[in-house]
Amino acid sequence: MSIRSSFAEFAGRSSYWFLHTFMHGGSSLPGKLTLKLDPNILQSFSQKYDLVIITGTNGKTLTTALSVRVLREKYDQVLTNPTGSNMEQGIVTTFITAPRAKKKGLAVLEVDEANVPIVCRYITPKAFVFTNIFRDQMDRYGEIYTTYKKILRGVKLAPKATIIANGDEQLFHSKDLPNPIIYYGFNHEHHPAFNAPANTDGLLCPKCQHILRYHMRTYAGLGDYFCPHCGFKRPELTYSVTKLDKLTPTNSTFEIDGHQYTIGIGGLYNIYNALAAYSLGRFMGVAPEQIKHAFESDERVFGRQEIINVDGKQVTIILVKNPVGLNQVLDMIETDPQPFSFAFLLNANYADGIDTSWIWDGNFEKLATHQIPQYMTGGERYKDITTRLTMAGIDNVWHEPDLTKVVDKIKQMPTKHVYILASYTAMLQLRKLLAEKEYIKKGGMD
Amino acid sequence: MAKYYLRLAHLYGDLLNTYSDVGNIIALRYYAKQMNADIAVEVISIDNQFNPNDFDLALFGGGQDYEQLVVSRDLPNKKDGLARFINDNKPMLAICGGYQLLGHYYIGANGEKIPGLGILDHYTLSQDNNRFIGDITIKNPETGQEYHGFENHNGRTFLGKDEQPLGMVVTGHGNNGEDHTEGAIYKSTYCSYFHGPILTRNGEIAKTLLLRALKNKYPDADFSNQEALKVKPTF
Repeated sequence: MSIRSSFAEFAGRSSYWFLHTFMHGGSSLPGKLTLKLDPNILQSFSQKYDLVIITGTNGKTLTTALSVRVLREKYDQVLTNPTGSNMEQGIVTTFITAPRAKKKGLAVLEVDEANVPIVCRYITPKAFVFTNIFRDQMDRYGEIYTTYKKILRGVKLAPKATIIANGDEQLFHSKDLPNPIIYYGFNHEHHPAFNAPANTDGLLCPKCQHILRYHMRTYAGLGDYFCPHCGFKRPELTYSVTKLDKLTPTNSTFEIDGHQYTIGIGGLYNIYNALAAYSLGRFMGVAPEQIKHAFESDERVFGRQEIINVDGKQVTIILVKNPVGLNQVLDMIETDPQPFSFAFLLNANYADGIDTSWIWDGNFEKLATHQIPQYMTGGERYKDITTRLTMAGIDNVWHEPDLTKVVDKIKQMPTKHVYILASYTAMLQLRKLLAEKEYIKKGGMD
Repeated sequence: MAKYYLRLAHLYGDLLNTYSDVGNIIALRYYAKQMNADIAVEVISIDNQFNPNDFDLALFGGGQDYEQLVVSRDLPNKKDGLARFINDNKPMLAICGGYQLLGHYYIGANGEKIPGLGILDHYTLSQDNNRFIGDITIKNPETGQEYHGFENHNGRTFLGKDEQPLGMVVTGHGNNGEDHTEGAIYKSTYCSYFHGPILTRNGEIAKTLLLRALKNKYPDADFSNQEALKVKPTF
């Protein structure tokens, strides 16, 4: 390590210690300071760590958390970054504040798609894990193809790194790369050929630009796809989900290559995250029994979908930020065997996405087929979400533009189970209110 | 079963689906129900023929650059049918990319000129490193109606002499940021850059399209009840 890097690291560590000790914060500032003093600081960590980069639109955070748990079954030193610190500054902070290791450690980092080439410029990763690429309503003019190209700019700098990619995502099979590639995916069903619903992103065959067809589709454009025109099809899978045993909003039991696993979280999309972590684990030499132990030993890793007790109501707050995620959440809550009430809190600040059109891609029509006794809409754009529900044929809706009154309304819901879907800032506002009333701990967001 | 039955062609609905245009179909069905009409939707994509006699309404949405490029290559196969549909005064809603593709051409992300259908007399230029993004309100000078939407486009569209704007900009950018127009009307084809989606926030436009479709298809029926339908504000 150069003197400059050492000094920069020292300055960053000191600022982190100061911020952490006296200001109860500090995740990107120390990284920012360190980068100012030594823009090449990341390079100095390449001798100290083997790096795995986890990237993609949805599922980065849980895939990373699960992967760390899996790898800790075998490796002593596994470093990772906290949620939200997935850009350069946050990553630098992660490295400089890590406990000093005697031998080479393993860093498993969630990296924002656009930051993949930045990180790869300094540290050549041993492996990449790709989850999926969907359209995020935050920056819809950034297209799925552009996003993948950004990631590939990083891959180009690491042609020997093994790619562990979701084989059900056709984009990850669309370019010829020199890297070794391991694909994972779902292999639990096989149907006669069918088309995905028209309102699905990325249905064009990357080789001949005809519409792809499917023998199995899990959600969005993911599945066992093929092109009837040129023969392009899903690659061979190395690891696959072979059976879905039981799905509820809080638990998923499924089989990978014939062995049963349970994770303490609902949602088909989370099974993909577990499968990705499994595949990385196997690549890194972790045994299936160890992976099972990692998945099933401690449920806190799934903290994102905690159930909050509000005077006897079991309230689940779920962040929604793009159509694919929204539809997955709607699919998930549908698996609740108990009756439930449903609320949607919608804001349109920058962090929520300033265009609320994306809610129209949500399949709310399916809710109308359940006997949901009470709906509620809230947030600054409650009118938009109310119109969406109205046009889905839903009319038993309370409107509550004032979020401070939402907590009282929750208590009046007629069911024990209450699901609250919320855009990002609406979720933060609601959590703050719940913290003030001491239903959750203050600052409880990861 | 409703008394009336309309068939809607969702043009390239499996490729031009980036901006939640499907919401416009949901809104059309919602208002159609109140007008005693059902709507059957069929996606007409590449590899499909478009026969104008098969449809009473059409929706032409917007997509990503790549998909729009693929669509533009397929358009010559459907040009005659679409021209007949439009010139027969059948109602069409064209949003964003669909709007641009009805005109002579637009400029793609890499500066290339991408030919459109040229059925409507507008053309679309690009702007460097800028997009018109944000909430927008316009007012139609003839009806006095105000429309609300969300715009998000790089293209700058300039109308031809046979086209009327959908409205004049009250707040926002509109077609090109210069002449204060937004969207276009030609016969019963309504074009706009509005997302939101447009018909979910502006039920009056949905009503206009549906009335036109009904009157075309059932020339002898009395639609005075449908005309009297009050559209409640949703925005």
